[in-house]
Amino acid sequence: MNFPFVKEAVNSLFKKPSTERYPFVKKEAPLGYRGRILFKSDKCIGCGMCIRVCAPGAITKSTKKTDDGEEITMNFFMGRCTFCQMCADFCPRGAIELTNEFSMITEDKSNLNVSGTFIKKLPPKQQAGSQTISKQV
Amino acid sequence: MFKKIIEKSFEKSPWLFHINAGSCNACDIEFVATLTPRYDAERFGFKLTGTPRHADIIVVSGPVTEQSKDRVIRTIAQVPNPKVIVALGSCPASGNIFAGSYSVLHTLDYYVPVDVYVPGCSPKPEAIIDGLYKAVEILKNKRRDNK
Ligand code: SF4
Ligand code: SF4
Repeated sequence: MNFPFVKEAVNSLFKKPSTERYPFVKKEAPLGYRGRILFKSDKCIGCGMCIRVCAPGAITKSTKKTDDGEEITMNFFMGRCTFCQMCADFCPRGAIELTNEFSMITEDKSNLNVSGTFIKKLPPKQQAGSQTISKQV
Repeated sequence: MFKKIIEKSFEKSPWLFHINAGSCNACDIEFVATLTPRYDAERFGFKLTGTPRHADIIVVSGPVTEQSKDRVIRTIAQVPNPKVIVALGSCPASGNIFAGSYSVLHTLDYYVPVDVYVPGCSPKPEAIIDGLYKAVEILKNKRRDNK
């Protein structure tokens, strides 16, 4: 008779349990973890590339006319996101970042919205019959 | 006296019932991982039960589909009050990538009141533990209000 696991069993008696003591000991997500989105509205130009590549359609853009341009609000709904990072990869300005915040527990769905607002200035209006046109003629 | 002991033990050991409403299985695997020795949610008294009639906390994963809608509603109706419903992952909250499919209907909170959302696709076991922790708090409050 031989007991192949006896050594393992005896060794394990003197080891610490492998259970992670999570809520008592805080834990960092691993490097490159894709968690809650951080949107930097000062970098965004409102091109809409992120909306185009987002498979579930978690991103919405709403615009409002104001005096000094268009007020653009980008809204990322974390309750619909698959955390694929496509939006961050495709954003030409690097305005989106997926942080390593993994715990987004909430009782209210509206807490899951990540949004940012910025004002996009319209180009200055050209006068009718301006110089560029008259030169070409 | 006896009643007090029973009430105390109710709070210390909430039983879980898991419904897969049509999920891709990722959330289910993470949920099972939460109960395994590595993360060990059973430290806090959580126990997976096989029948909705014994459950206190219902964990729903996946979008509500045409096939599962009636079954989800019927199963949740069998759980005795007070109960707490946890929406696991992004799918019950919005439909996620399956939204707009011919077989996926509404979000879960259209049919039943959802108490806790655990977003993520799929959520880390640590996040699920946090969500269950919150669910127990809500369950305690519901018990107190019921008295
Ligand atoms: S976040 Fe990036 S991709 Fe999306 S609209 Fe702004 S600049 Fe474009
Ligand atoms: S990470 Fe993926 S699913 Fe989430 S908002 Fe970005 S593109 Fe959409």
